[in-house]
Amino acid sequence: MSETMTADIADHPDARPAADERDRSNHKASSIEMQGLHKRFGRDTVALDGVDLNIRAGEFFTLLGPSGCGKTTLLRILAGLEEPDAGSLVVGGKDITETPPHQRSVNTVFQSYALFPHLSVRENLAFGLKMRGMPAAKRHAKVDEIADFIKLGDLVDRHVDQLSGGQRQRIALARALICEPDVLLLDEPLSALDAGLRSQLQVELLRVQKRLGMTFVFVTHDQQEAMVMSDRIAVLNGGTIQQVGPPREVYERPVNAFVAHFMGHDNLYPISARQGDRLTTALGELTAEEAGDGELLLIRPETLDLLPGAVERPNHLTATVTERLYRGSHAEFRLAIGDTTLQATVNNRGRHLPEVGETVTVAVAPEDLVTLSE
Amino acid sequence: MRKRTLARGLAGIWWVTLFFLYVPLFVIVLFSFNSANSTAIFENFSLVWYRRLFGNEQIIDAFGHSLVLAVSSSIVALVIGCLIGYGMYRHRHRKLGWLIVLIYLPIVLPDIVFGISEMAFFVQIHAWTGLLKPGLGTMIIAHVTFQIPFVALIVYSRFVGLDPTLFEAAKDLYASPVKRVVHFMVPTIKPALISAFFLSFTLSIDDFVISFFTAGPESATLPIYIWSAIKKGVTPEINAIATLMIGAVAIAAIFSMLFNRQGRR
Repeated sequence: MSETMTADIADHPDARPAADERDRSNHKASSIEMQGLHKRFGRDTVALDGVDLNIRAGEFFTLLGPSGCGKTTLLRILAGLEEPDAGSLVVGGKDITETPPHQRSVNTVFQSYALFPHLSVRENLAFGLKMRGMPAAKRHAKVDEIADFIKLGDLVDRHVDQLSGGQRQRIALARALICEPDVLLLDEPLSALDAGLRSQLQVELLRVQKRLGMTFVFVTHDQQEAMVMSDRIAVLNGGTIQQVGPPREVYERPVNAFVAHFMGHDNLYPISARQGDRLTTALGELTAEEAGDGELLLIRPETLDLLPGAVERPNHLTATVTERLYRGSHAEFRLAIGDTTLQATVNNRGRHLPEVGETVTVAVAPEDLVTLSE
Repeated sequence: MRKRTLARGLAGIWWVTLFFLYVPLFVIVLFSFNSANSTAIFENFSLVWYRRLFGNEQIIDAFGHSLVLAVSSSIVALVIGCLIGYGMYRHRHRKLGWLIVLIYLPIVLPDIVFGISEMAFFVQIHAWTGLLKPGLGTMIIAHVTFQIPFVALIVYSRFVGLDPTLFEAAKDLYASPVKRVVHFMVPTIKPALISAFFLSFTLSIDDFVISFFTAGPESATLPIYIWSAIKKGVTPEINAIATLMIGAVAIAAIFSMLFNRQGRR
């Protein structure tokens, strides 16, 4: 049952483009296999502590984690800008662990965009092609082609100085894509942009990736962004991979407390006693269905229902509202059950939203409860 | 009220400074066009001193020496200083304190000390090996040594001002080490290189002390010629030379500044 559920999550269509849209590209996508990657800086800083990771051809794959987790180091090893102390890296069936960056069919969109200040936008776009020895006329045609594809319009004939942040970002993306690499690496490319532009470019980036069918490896510390963009996410901490899976799996079934916290969950309770499916925590006794055998109980705020008044029913908790944040489309509640707090998110369907101080009954469906390890 | 007095006082200092800086230059330029052989009374506008100047073979020779010295030493200093500047940038994360001091030292060292030690050194080497006979060759070496720190610092500060990921972007975009130099580094720091060249050129043309100590009997530069000529008294001919030098140095300095500014943009 647990396995089918996981598979179910993995195959969920979400809001992603249909599979046939991916087939429009004639680009060969490459898979990536990383094995036992270690990297240490200086004597004490361990950046990567044994990373094994397989990325499928044509996948939008995200490396997610807090700063210092090793995600950027991993990306730089993929680019060849950093050499691993141990381990191997295979892209498209070819071992490139020792290959210098300029000989790898891998291109990067840098966080700072890294557009060459001494070159025009057109020359920036053509730089990679020129270095690979493509004749000028062909380069020119290629630049026009990519400008059309990314919809750069008249940006191509401007100077780098005259571009806004969003425009630079798109030029940097185009400059990497034009080389048609086996793998495209993106190092927090949207982090310098304001929220509106950011979500607009997220959609654009996703669309580009699906149309090209190219393997994208994306680095971010923003779990929302990771969930929107990715086919699969790897959550990193302390130089090791904590969990790899599709966004819903990582969000709904985190494997440990770190992943749960990082994905934004706060309702974690140590299990003090367990009798079959009955789990005892500081909240009281709850029945869980297929919760697994972890020692922490995770209750996602959006799986809770709040009913007015105290109702005596199995698998229901009686709580007092201590805080209410009204957010229009939904409301967030902080509830007290004894000395323990519980957070709940309730969609605003025009029904009664409990007030602060009100006593409510919290309903939990047994199948929504998940346990995980420390 | 008091504030205004202070402002006027400061403005006064400004004008006095300008006066002492530029009036002598103006007088020299003016009297270079004087028809009379006087540095006190201006009679008529005339180019007689310039005609005399260009008829004087010694001056033409000295001018030629100055030019050859300035151009060749600047080119050599540019190449070496550029390598040092890049090296300083590449290893900026290491503790290079002593090395930086070594590079700065020639800038603060008095020219006379520098000149005398270079002379003693060249004379010794010449005595032992017969090489490095005082002349244009030794002067070029001496000039290069004092130009290098300026070039290195200009190039270094230009590199430091760049986004370090540009170097990685060049690698990432298939540029081999040689192509990175040709297509990325040199074009990117070109304004700094031009600026450094003109600064070196200016320093060399302008130098008297170090040139004086390292020159041979046949390699007198313009400043050395002026110095020896002036012992016989200031003639309007000297004014004409000075005027030409002011023009040349001003042009080089303006170029240096323009390109440096363009690079920092």
